[in-house]
Amino acid sequence: MQMRPQYLLLPANRAFITFTIVAAFVLNVLPWGHAPGIPDLLALVLVFWNVHQPRMVGIGIAFLFGLLMDVHDAALFGEHALSYTLLSYGAIAMHRRVPWFHMFGQMLHVLPLFLLTQWIVLLVRLAIGGAFPGWQWFLQSASCTLLWPLADWLLLAPQRQAVDRDENRPI
Amino acid sequence: MNSSPPPFFKQGPSANARLVFFSLLAIALLVVDSRFALLGRLRQGIATVLYPVQRTLLVPRDVIHVGAEYVGEVGRLRAENAELRRIETANANALLQTEQLAAENRQLRRLLAMRERTVLRSTVAEVLYDARDAFSRRLVLDKGVQHGVAAGQPVIDADGVIGQVTRVYPLSSEVTLVTDRESTIPVEVRRSGERRLAFGGSIPGPVGLRYLRPNAAGPPGDVPVPPGRDGLFPPGLREGRVRSEVAGSPAFVRVLVVPAAQGDRTRLLLVLLAEPPQVPKMVAPEDGEPRRRGRGG
Repeated sequence: MQMRPQYLLLPANRAFITFTIVAAFVLNVLPWGHAPGIPDLLALVLVFWNVHQPRMVGIGIAFLFGLLMDVHDAALFGEHALSYTLLSYGAIAMHRRVPWFHMFGQMLHVLPLFLLTQWIVLLVRLAIGGAFPGWQWFLQSASCTLLWPLADWLLLAPQRQAVDRDENRPI
Repeated sequence: MNSSPPPFFKQGPSANARLVFFSLLAIALLVVDSRFALLGRLRQGIATVLYPVQRTLLVPRDVIHVGAEYVGEVGRLRAENAELRRIETANANALLQTEQLAAENRQLRRLLAMRERTVLRSTVAEVLYDARDAFSRRLVLDKGVQHGVAAGQPVIDADGVIGQVTRVYPLSSEVTLVTDRESTIPVEVRRSGERRLAFGGSIPGPVGLRYLRPNAAGPPGDVPVPPGRDGLFPPGLREGRVRSEVAGSPAFVRVLVVPAAQGDRTRLLLVLLAEPPQVPKMVAPEDGEPRRRGRGG
């Protein structure tokens, strides 16, 4: 197997992480309506930071943003909180393993995670008396997974910069 | 370096402990919210803080809407305007008659010493957005407690009942559509006079009337209406059209009704600011034997 280059990343910026999570929340709050397969960007960004910076973004933050989503989304209070808590735990549990894989391997790791949490939300809602939304509801996990490379590129971009800019250096 | 070495001693609670703590907290919230209405205040508080954010986020969408209308829809608007003018002229006659009838009705009621019908107050509300929740059918309106909206009030559009207000915030409110699975509204089948509850279905679309006698439901196209006796839904609103009968058992049928109003098409709705009906207190009979009321339909 060909060795991939390993980049030494800069330290993560706390302000940038906060900004991305808030931005993902804001994008989630946009009026998306009922179209199937709209990605849950907040879940994606939370999982991403849980994998890459588990000591900065933990389960507590995921839980808090879940509560905020609950109020916006007109869902039952605690539904998103539970799902993001589980997502976050799953992501932290595999945070040492995932970054060593190439992009496709990473996507194969996060897809079951998203699917599992969607299943749990489904079970909770059906138990409480919701209507089955149809199988296309699971497209959300697929679209989240497809956005993983984009998240990797965007969210790690500040850390991939050079320490001191040099005109003669290629990066 | 990407990450500093982990601290040796101060690591806080383990991930497992955090998982258990936060999931139990979330499950407790779920149970408390679904079983007891205790979290209303908390929800209202967070919703009030979030409200400006939500409104700001709707601006780009509205700008796009307005822009699209400016560019492409002048012709359609002209046609619509002409049509509305025509309807207004046609309605003027009916309005005059209605006023006359209302006056006459008031007089007659006074003659008969009946309680006068209260004039129904209402407020026009705009649909802010369709709630993203995939499990329910709800709209969020831009009128809330500040405008007199309260939970339980019916919401209508030009075609008929759309749903009921289920949650109110200071400046906005949530409407559960009649097609939502948890929604029930009173209905009277005009042909037979039978009163039933219309239940929302698990699939978006028709609502169902259960346990009707096979001959009680009208032919497809018949119009069930709210009976107007509960003080909440005004009489004479259209509910929908009977689409088909589904046989449940030999004795009863289930009738599917397509709602007249389709909530996802309109942007302006009317919230009827009806007071929840004042139910007189049950007085225990003197002899202590509770009277049983017949349950036959």
